[in-house]
Amino acid sequence: MSQIRIVRIHNELLGTYGDQGNADVLVFRAKFHGITASIIDVSYNDLLPTNGDIYLLGGAEDAAQILSLEALRRDDTLQGAIERGAVVLAVCAGFQIIGNSFWANGQEVGGLGLLDVNSVPGNKRFVGDVKSKSTVLGLELTGFENHAGKTILGPNAKPFAKVSIGHGNGDGKYDGAVDGNVFGTYMHGPILARNPEFADLLLTRATGRKYSQISDPLATQYATWRRKVTK
Amino acid sequence: MRLKLAIALSRFAGLLSRKILGKSGETIPGRILLILYPKALVALAKERNIILVSGTNGKTSTTKALAKIVSTLGTTVSNSTGSNLDRGAATTLMTKSEYAVLEVDELHLIRLIAETNPKVALLLNLTRDQLHRMHEVKRVADRWHVAVAGATETLFVGDVDDPFINYALSASDNSICVSFGGRKHSDAAVCPSCGIYLKWNKNNYKCACGLTNTDADINLEPVSAAARNAQLANIVGKELGAKVLKIDPTDLERSFTKSYSGINAKIRLTKNPASWTEALSGVTGEDVILILNARQVDGIDTSWLWDVSFDKLHGKRVVVCGERALDLAYRLHVQGIESTVTGNFSDAIAKFSGANSVEVLAAYTAFHSLVTG
Repeated sequence: MSQIRIVRIHNELLGTYGDQGNADVLVFRAKFHGITASIIDVSYNDLLPTNGDIYLLGGAEDAAQILSLEALRRDDTLQGAIERGAVVLAVCAGFQIIGNSFWANGQEVGGLGLLDVNSVPGNKRFVGDVKSKSTVLGLELTGFENHAGKTILGPNAKPFAKVSIGHGNGDGKYDGAVDGNVFGTYMHGPILARNPEFADLLLTRATGRKYSQISDPLATQYATWRRKVTK
Repeated sequence: MRLKLAIALSRFAGLLSRKILGKSGETIPGRILLILYPKALVALAKERNIILVSGTNGKTSTTKALAKIVSTLGTTVSNSTGSNLDRGAATTLMTKSEYAVLEVDELHLIRLIAETNPKVALLLNLTRDQLHRMHEVKRVADRWHVAVAGATETLFVGDVDDPFINYALSASDNSICVSFGGRKHSDAAVCPSCGIYLKWNKNNYKCACGLTNTDADINLEPVSAAARNAQLANIVGKELGAKVLKIDPTDLERSFTKSYSGINAKIRLTKNPASWTEALSGVTGEDVILILNARQVDGIDTSWLWDVSFDKLHGKRVVVCGERALDLAYRLHVQGIESTVTGNFSDAIAKFSGANSVEVLAAYTAFHSLVTG
């Protein structure tokens, strides 16, 4: 049995849209795969653990987003984790934080530069259900977006998903970005609750093992129903 | 167009909508009035005492209690059914009175403050709610702050244990800050006033910028949300010259009981993390029905379910129904609580046949259809 550590970063700041549920779903799915998973909650005043396997960031309003960024700048743990192959899932404001730059409180702010994207203010707020097909999973995903930023991908990042409903990165074509084990998306939901297969992928990437498909009928029923009703 | 004519036409439209469409008639007249006479709120508010009540939770019940208190002072109108947008206020104000106690939606409060020049505004609380419409709590608080700053003739009363309310009140020179001994706020890690990490010491906060609940004008004992709102209503009443009215806090809980084929159901309103948490803490029985919808007024984004701990339901018989039953069933599943999903409320009740009582926690639209159904 393997053990993994899930690091939930600044949930009090980056947890505006139920994003803490992503960690809960990872632990829950891990159990089916015979993996013991623990959640390490890191608050603003703490430093990130260097031995995390999956690092999670969620959504926030501007002031909280800037505070989180400042705290993450105290050391380069997240960069080190990525270099050793740890998984990062960053949603919405978190997605912007790990990019090269974003806008908050009317100003352009330099991000952590861990994903080659730049976010700029959009001309309206993008709110509603999203349906997309993940380039990585080859699967249809659903989520809920609520953001004012548009995100432009640089040459080192690939789009995470092709959007069929919703706005995604603001152009209505793609959502999020991916580079190796670093994933960014605008989809809340929380995304791993609505798309348990994505949780499984993150677990696979974190442990380097292939897992057989698990049977959790309610999870499958939920995800399938969500795909059906999102239109 | 003259105001009187506009009112007459709007009333007629309301009559038609009641008779022909079978609507309640609380929204249509006001809506038409505001089209025919856009400054109607300003005109109708003149020369009477306007009292506004707003906040995420407890608006309707607190408004009812406050209207009862204020009616001891003079003729009073109130939008007692929860029609709390600008049009609902306009409909209510079409009836002449000395006082008007108005429940106001959080986003409509800005217009109501600006146009009705209220004598008192009571601000209850701000927590995450209807995410698709309100977005982050801070956004609403910022708008309130600006609205409060512009209302120099209004007395603002609020519960400053909520940092967002405190921040809104801080824009006024004429406010009564009430503290109930402090309590945690799950959306307030950041100071809404200055944007730094808010320093909490157990249930109390004190920011370097000065925002704190420890220097309130009135300090009261910690009590339930309903009891807080009852006391706040009396504080407002006292400022208006009314005698303190004894209010049973249970009257301010949004709940009622109804019998379904011999099963006594206690039905509570639950619409966001704060009200779910409050309602779950009151669950005492073993049989529970949860109803989740996600229409506009419920909030179409249900991701907040993951911010509610359903621990209280471990070991109970739980049946889930409503349009978004699966959102809730899966959330419970991940927390280790297995539930039965049914297609509708009657099927849910049927699962408990033979039981004496069942507790029901219902989303806004479900709650209202059970009230009237």
